[in-house]
Amino acid sequence: MKRERVILGLLAAVVLAACGTTSSGGGGSSYAGKTIKLGAILSITGAGGVYGPQSRDGMNLAVNEINKAGGVNGAMITLTVNDDASDKAQSARLAQTMIEQDQDLALLGPTLSNSAVGVHPLAESLKTPILAVSTTGIHIVPDCNFPAATACKYVFRDSLGEQTAIPDNIKSYSEDKHPTTGVLLVAQDDKFSSDGGTIVQNTVGQYGINLLATIKFSKTEADLSPYVTQAVQKKPDVIFITSLGGIPAKIMTEARKQGWTGQFLGGNGFNTATVSKQAGGDGKGARSASAWYIGNTFTSNAAFVSAYKTAYSKDPDQFAAQGYTGIKILADAAKRANLTFSDLAGDRDKLRAAMETVNLDTPLGPFQFTSSHDVKQTVWVIAMDGQGGFTLVHEIKPS
Amino acid sequence: MGQQVLNAIFIGSIYALFAVGYTLVFGVLDILNLAHSAVFMVGAAITYSLVVNYHQTFLVACLLGIAACAFVGLVIEYACLRPLRRRRAPPIAALISTIGLALIIVAAVEQGRPGSAFAWLWVDGANSVRFPPDMIPNPTWRVAGLTLEATKVAIVPITIALMLVLGYVIRFTQFGRGLRAVAENPRAASLMGLDVDRMIALTVVLSSALGGVAGILFGLALSDISPYIGRDNLEIRGLAVIVLGGMGSIPGAVAGGYLLGLIEVLALVVLGSNVRAGVAFAALFLVLVLRPQGLFGAQLKERL
Repeated sequence: MKRERVILGLLAAVVLAACGTTSSGGGGSSYAGKTIKLGAILSITGAGGVYGPQSRDGMNLAVNEINKAGGVNGAMITLTVNDDASDKAQSARLAQTMIEQDQDLALLGPTLSNSAVGVHPLAESLKTPILAVSTTGIHIVPDCNFPAATACKYVFRDSLGEQTAIPDNIKSYSEDKHPTTGVLLVAQDDKFSSDGGTIVQNTVGQYGINLLATIKFSKTEADLSPYVTQAVQKKPDVIFITSLGGIPAKIMTEARKQGWTGQFLGGNGFNTATVSKQAGGDGKGARSASAWYIGNTFTSNAAFVSAYKTAYSKDPDQFAAQGYTGIKILADAAKRANLTFSDLAGDRDKLRAAMETVNLDTPLGPFQFTSSHDVKQTVWVIAMDGQGGFTLVHEIKPS
Repeated sequence: MGQQVLNAIFIGSIYALFAVGYTLVFGVLDILNLAHSAVFMVGAAITYSLVVNYHQTFLVACLLGIAACAFVGLVIEYACLRPLRRRRAPPIAALISTIGLALIIVAAVEQGRPGSAFAWLWVDGANSVRFPPDMIPNPTWRVAGLTLEATKVAIVPITIALMLVLGYVIRFTQFGRGLRAVAENPRAASLMGLDVDRMIALTVVLSSALGGVAGILFGLALSDISPYIGRDNLEIRGLAVIVLGGMGSIPGAVAGGYLLGLIEVLALVVLGSNVRAGVAFAALFLVLVLRPQGLFGAQLKERL
């Protein structure tokens, strides 16, 4: 009798495993003939247009790979990408339409933290899982409803938050070169930039860096020369730049023209070849902490880089890698969620629950969410190479 | 402080060149051509594309870029202005139609990516790019603690020379006299045998060509070319400059450009970066309260 119980127990364990109780394991029930509708809100145009197209390309690549391999338990993924033109209000309007009218199972995006403050609380209130693939500001996860203290259940992100990236970068550079003074240049009218600025201000003291000045400007400023002059005249060891789009490169170019030879340190705004290319030789050595590094040779990254190059005839960047990973995460979660395809609200909740246990090998490295739905992954400190690319400086394992 | 004064002069020159395009059209038509910011961008974008993607010399690219802007000026006149003028539409209608055209032009350029329908025009999408560093010699001099970059230094004499030529054309040539006649009273000018539509078209073309020059100089000096360079803060500053200098006044636009550049930089140095724009526009407000017609403002008959 005892032996029969043991055998039955083993059989039960095998059946449960086959049903996909662990991430990346076998799928649940068959979804053959069904469609998993996903929607992405990205900034294809406007200030965020530097990042959105790469996210879109990464996502489309992942969707094509999954569908060609038979889909998610037989279901095909459809991905609709909508351009919010980097506009916060448009981003929120799109989210509402995609959730209520298009009835997408889950959303990805938006590109900019500035837009996320409108979109994420909306997705949370409509109980729709949303995965941020490039938003790195403060109050994205778990406190999307900041200042309300309640943790958001439906909001996740696979992008490395500035609260991790900027301190890691400053710590790494301080240990290498021991700078003592710095100046912060920050676009005060952009959430991503101002959040980054706050993080710099809160971090530098821990590493003995005296912040000589915080120089604020508008993200739409045509000429940054007067601000750069203000910064350069302080003769700092380091200039911190927390802005996005073309701003970091403009600052670097102007500072070098004015004869400043110190170190640029930044955030996620540096982490695209577009910015590195625009900065050119003036950006050489500029450091940032990144969620991804193109030169990593582990299988999941090498396969991604190769497939991306084949599909688009160009190198991917961090945003492409995070977009690609976003789709893989949702597909993995959907596979294990036992979706019904008849109860959308129930399916959204099942997907959310499955996302919490994701454990995947991705181009970003081994990937899991923390209990607050943030990324738990290796951080790569990279430096611009002066020719539109990056070199790896340090690798920081998750604690 | 010396470097900041230089910064003010450089950006003041761009403001002035940009604003002259606005004021030229306003002086003749009493309407604001808000597609001017898009023309400014087109000048820089086409010149960049010709140099980088079509491997033209900078000089050839500039000439073609300015010619393209002049052509866009013609499109503005025929698509946005003339049809409304024929229907005696109020000035606000032309304002809206030029905003519409500007949005279309910016959207077209930002769609320009490899493989897209606009790849022949622009391939960098929303990205900000800069002219290749070795395109033209651009030495940097350090004099008495000041940094002088050749492309920025060149902007000042180019701006002044263009303004002098423009002033001469308007004051002393037949075209200029015709322009002033149309500005003063189009109906009377028409009765005197002037082809008013032709004069207006030439004005918009001239204004657009100047906008193209401003865009190219901006891209060159500030290492920043993207679909948005005319739209962002520059557009609102251009409007501020012509109000400050006096609507429709070319000397006013030039003086207003330099003055606004100087006020902004002084605000930055004295009061800090947080208040730069606020102080500049507070000064503008003050000027308008004390002198509503602007610094160089005059009666309609004296415009241009």
